[in-house]
Amino acid sequence: MLKILDSAIPVACWSCSVAHNESTLFCPNCSKIQPPPGGDYFSVFGLEPRLHLDLDILEREFHRLSRKLHPDRFARAGENEKQWSLADTALLNDAYRTLKDPLRRTQYLLKLHGAEIGEEHAGRDPQKDAKDPVRVLPDLLEEVFDLNMQLEELRTERKAGAADPQLTVALEAARSKFEGLLKVVDDDLHAQWRVWDAGSESERRAAQNRMVALLDQRRYLSHLLRDVTETLGAE
Amino acid sequence: MAYSDKVVDHYNNPRNVGTLDKASPEVGTGLVGAPECGDVMRLQIRVNPDTQIIEEAKFKTFGCGSAIASSSLATEWVKGRTVDDALAIKNTDIVKELSLPPVKIHCSVLAEDAIRAAIGDWKKKNATAEPAEAAAAAQ
Repeated sequence: MLKILDSAIPVACWSCSVAHNESTLFCPNCSKIQPPPGGDYFSVFGLEPRLHLDLDILEREFHRLSRKLHPDRFARAGENEKQWSLADTALLNDAYRTLKDPLRRTQYLLKLHGAEIGEEHAGRDPQKDAKDPVRVLPDLLEEVFDLNMQLEELRTERKAGAADPQLTVALEAARSKFEGLLKVVDDDLHAQWRVWDAGSESERRAAQNRMVALLDQRRYLSHLLRDVTETLGAE
Repeated sequence: MAYSDKVVDHYNNPRNVGTLDKASPEVGTGLVGAPECGDVMRLQIRVNPDTQIIEEAKFKTFGCGSAIASSSLATEWVKGRTVDDALAIKNTDIVKELSLPPVKIHCSVLAEDAIRAAIGDWKKKNATAEPAEAAAAAQ
């Protein structure tokens, strides 16, 4: 379960009893391994919760902590410490995989701040949603629908053994167009990252809503591109 | 996860697949999407202007089996109902009828959204000040 940021409650080290930030894997005082911390993924690496991350630092810290958590180092340790080294390693891997990928990092941080993304709004209240204009993408939907129709047509024609070469051309054109749209979405996302990282509380809120909508659009576009590429590649 | 028999039946024999003339004043078109899964659903209704009864309904859905079954069922259910009656169809009714598992509830929401969007489009075209519309706006 995700915990909200800034909830780093000091906890006492099980070994030396000195209080430390809850999200460290090792006690800063006596260096003993700690049970899996309850804070967010950023604090595991000692990083500020930001969308623009220094990936070099992330990777360096990941390797450093992975080495420190290696099971060989706990061969003669107590049963608790052995268990924790495995649990901490699992947490570290999850945290690294989530933070190094820009989209997963964005989703993760927005979720920490209460945004509902993807499957999370399954079973949502449609009445409430209809009032939320950032979610509604009528123009994009039209295009998505039309492209799906073209894809289906091409598949049917192929099955009948007579694919219209013009349809393939149209799909290839659509593919470049949607790749372009994806690029626009990604550029916009990066622009929102900057706002989110540096903005005031209200600017942050606006950027967050925008990013949730962009992530929705992105999911459509990437699904669609996958389908187009599969269909074109099946020749 | 196995689909229920009813979902499989609608998936294998979808009812009312097709297109109605979007330009006709008697036709309402609803195009909705579920960004969580990339599904798109188009549902169209043809309304008799004298009786307000939905005489024809067509759909086309690109999505999973549950999305196709939900929209197929929706077209069956709206046919023969008045416009206001059709608005009473709830996604939970679809969930029950098709025994959709919790992860597929959003497919039924999509179908309900599609019905509302199609009726909304038809109302906009015909600009009738329906009491139901006023009630919906007041919500």
